[in-house]
Amino acid sequence: MTSTIEQPPDVTAPVTVRPRARWMPASAGQAVVWLVVVVLVVGPFFPLVYSSLRSKPFYLPGGTFGLQAYRTLFADPLFWQAVWNTLWFAVGTTALAVAGGTALAILCNRTNLPGRKAYRVLLMAPIVIPPLGLIIGWLAIYGQGGYITQLVGQNLHLPVWNLSTIPGMAVLGAVITIPVVFLTVQSALAGTDSSLEDAARSSGAGPGRVITRVTLPMLRPAILNCTLLIFALCLEILGIPLFLGTPSNIDFYASYLYRSWTSSVTPDPPFVSAGAVLLLVVVSGLLILRARLSGSEQRFIAAGGRGGGAHRPLDLGRWRWPASIGLGAYIGITCVIPLLGLVLMSCVKALTTLQVPWQLFTAENWRLVATDPTLRRSITDSLLIAGGGGAATVLLVAAATLIAHRSRFPLRRTLAPALIYPRAVPGVILGIGFFWAYLMFTPGALVRNNLWGELIALCVRNLTLAYVVIYPSLARINVEFDRAASSSGAGWWTIARRILLPILRPALLAAFVLMFITLLGDYDPVVFLQKPGTEVLGVTMLQTWARGIVGPVAALAVVQVAIVAVVLLLGARVLRRLRRA
Amino acid sequence: MPDIRVEHLSKSFSGTRVLDDVSFTVKEKELVTLLGPSGCGKTTTLLSIAGFQTPDEGRIGCGDDIFFDRDAHVDLAAERRNLGMVFQSYAIWPHMTVAQNVAFPLRVRKMPKRAITARVAEVLALVELSEQADRYPHQLSGGQQQRVALGRAIAYSPAVLLLDEPFSNLDAKLRERARDWLRELQHTLGLTTVFVTHDQDEALSMSDRILVMNGGRILREGTPEEAYRQPRLRFVAEFLGQCNFLTGAVTAGPDGTAILKTAEFGDGIAVPEQHAGPRGTIAVRPEDIEITQPDAPGSGPGGTVLDASYLGDHYQYRVAVGTVQLSVRSQRPLAQGPVRVRIPPGVATFVD
Repeated sequence: MTSTIEQPPDVTAPVTVRPRARWMPASAGQAVVWLVVVVLVVGPFFPLVYSSLRSKPFYLPGGTFGLQAYRTLFADPLFWQAVWNTLWFAVGTTALAVAGGTALAILCNRTNLPGRKAYRVLLMAPIVIPPLGLIIGWLAIYGQGGYITQLVGQNLHLPVWNLSTIPGMAVLGAVITIPVVFLTVQSALAGTDSSLEDAARSSGAGPGRVITRVTLPMLRPAILNCTLLIFALCLEILGIPLFLGTPSNIDFYASYLYRSWTSSVTPDPPFVSAGAVLLLVVVSGLLILRARLSGSEQRFIAAGGRGGGAHRPLDLGRWRWPASIGLGAYIGITCVIPLLGLVLMSCVKALTTLQVPWQLFTAENWRLVATDPTLRRSITDSLLIAGGGGAATVLLVAAATLIAHRSRFPLRRTLAPALIYPRAVPGVILGIGFFWAYLMFTPGALVRNNLWGELIALCVRNLTLAYVVIYPSLARINVEFDRAASSSGAGWWTIARRILLPILRPALLAAFVLMFITLLGDYDPVVFLQKPGTEVLGVTMLQTWARGIVGPVAALAVVQVAIVAVVLLLGARVLRRLRRA
Repeated sequence: MPDIRVEHLSKSFSGTRVLDDVSFTVKEKELVTLLGPSGCGKTTTLLSIAGFQTPDEGRIGCGDDIFFDRDAHVDLAAERRNLGMVFQSYAIWPHMTVAQNVAFPLRVRKMPKRAITARVAEVLALVELSEQADRYPHQLSGGQQQRVALGRAIAYSPAVLLLDEPFSNLDAKLRERARDWLRELQHTLGLTTVFVTHDQDEALSMSDRILVMNGGRILREGTPEEAYRQPRLRFVAEFLGQCNFLTGAVTAGPDGTAILKTAEFGDGIAVPEQHAGPRGTIAVRPEDIEITQPDAPGSGPGGTVLDASYLGDHYQYRVAVGTVQLSVRSQRPLAQGPVRVRIPPGVATFVD
């Protein structure tokens, strides 16, 4: 033992004692992050609410304030029909997606299912395939005139399904949303200490009991979070009713508003804003419910810092192989076959079971993608938004999440709802909000008619996804880590930068990958913002499809799949390295 | 090294009063233990000193600094209080090596790189972890993790050390060693220390003074010996080890003592304290009661040994005397059956 130890080291105390009144923000930086988030999230809603209370669009003279727009909306029987359709669809989809996604996540992360590692990657397929691509792929295979529907109905003379019904659409809705559940639950599972499950097993509980009594209760915040997210996603879903509902005249809330908007005689009818505002109210109710249900996040923190370690998976026994084969079939039916249909579609003149496909081969679609400036620009613009916007959003959301849950910032409690909100609001509506916001407020002119405006709209709309990935991981970090740093003399930003963000690295990367993929495929917030010269993939595909040109759209979808596949592979690789470290 | 002054601290959580007018002082270089069952307010008190809980009322001062003063609206941020704290979970950052963990408080204080390296080496030598400097926390044993947490807490020579049940995650053997070791370190470095525990053995063996808490109040304050020998309250007596209670009539004895008589102890038990009121309750520790063979010379009522258990260095007996049952600790092996029970003068103390 050295003798110098008894003397204090020459640490000059740079921490001057400056008492701070309690109501003051802990730091200016926190206030800036809060302000940016709140302005971006809340900003677009003012023009929306304003326009729902006017009798005419705000740029027209002679409008008055009133509830006329709401009366118009309630008097429309089509509106009520759309509400019922949406509710049934949302309940069905949420139940299927949450149950399925959680089961799949546990199967692939906590049991000895053969091939679970591969399935963990393959189950991401529905978000690898951009939503429009998957919908088109499903239509090509399972739709009324789809490849397999034709095979079963015409070649085998068996009764066929009808995809253009509410249950049919709910199945596709669940397929599309299951990866969100899977990702959230998996991210929660990765951090929960598996020794808690081992403890239950050594108390004599079988695998089924361990899952229902220990694993599932521990996952409650994650499950609850994604239940509400999926339900909200269902309320706003636009692509499915537009493509699948149209043949049988089934409209959902979003598609009803979209159709009313686009087919209205007068531009920007106020009753569409009124419908949007009503949905906001419903969503706000859901968020309050979520806050009440989720309760104290502290209860779900596993004791000790580092969860995991080597654990023995639960034994499925004789169900191992049947479960694995079933899972493989599920992936094949929901993704691989529609994806093949998409590739096929990008290379043929027409899809039919009456002629072998190679006789219909054409390279024209691909030539068009390579040469047409609009199609080419849509690819580069989308890459720019997905990469740059995704990274910026993850950083902003990470900072905001830390402020919301790990600071003494006075307004911190407002941040969590602000981060959930954008994704729960129909993208189309958020897009209209941004459209008006850019028009009405002076700083909007800076981003109007260029890619920045679309980037902001897309990033704000999807920042919730970054939050739902980062937050559960943060909630599992023991608050004593912060306190230890704090009592070591570190301020809030130092704790964030040196302690919390480094521990959160895997979650941050997962959030970025999810953001990148989503930004590349998302389209509804920018339907009203896209101008010639600022094309993004989704809207270009939508508009091209609407003109009846399907081949190049399939080719663009294939390009999207390829880009996203590369990003996912890279991301998974880095994530593995991070988790090993 | 400064002292810590806690004055009139109160706090409620949603209607429940968890701290009720808590006041105490920790003198320079003193180790004071907050002892009590879970939920007694000891951790809330510690977190209030550290700056992680904001009390509703009161003042907390440390040396020349005011940490918290409700009336003056002073609430110094935790990172400015210059305390060293060891957490129950240790809270060693998993993404940093042992050396990086210990270096963190020094880096935050912008100490020169070379000085940091030297100081970290010193501290690691002190906590006997020089070999493990480049390991990550998950590669360490529980005892080693605890020493990392301690090394980090003392790295920049803080004025005050706060310990939140630091031994609760260690096994019994290791706990005893860690206890002696920490006590020695605290002495050597002369740290003013506040120690929170629910384990009375830890409290008795380590503390200069003990504060026994329950229901958000301090019930007893004193040296370990005072608290153990004169608990004053039934709760304190029971919490600090086993205790027998006897209630009876009190009469004044010679030289400011008192005599307590019960149906069983008709001759009276001499208590070296004055007592107001005709009736009273005394506390007697099991090891202070003498039991002998019934035919042995001496006074005292007869009793019956109901059962006995052998605990290595002593026997634990349950003895019935009339209608009361006493637990008695003795070195002497006795068979079940009749015995003579004696409470020597001076071992009993009045409790409320």
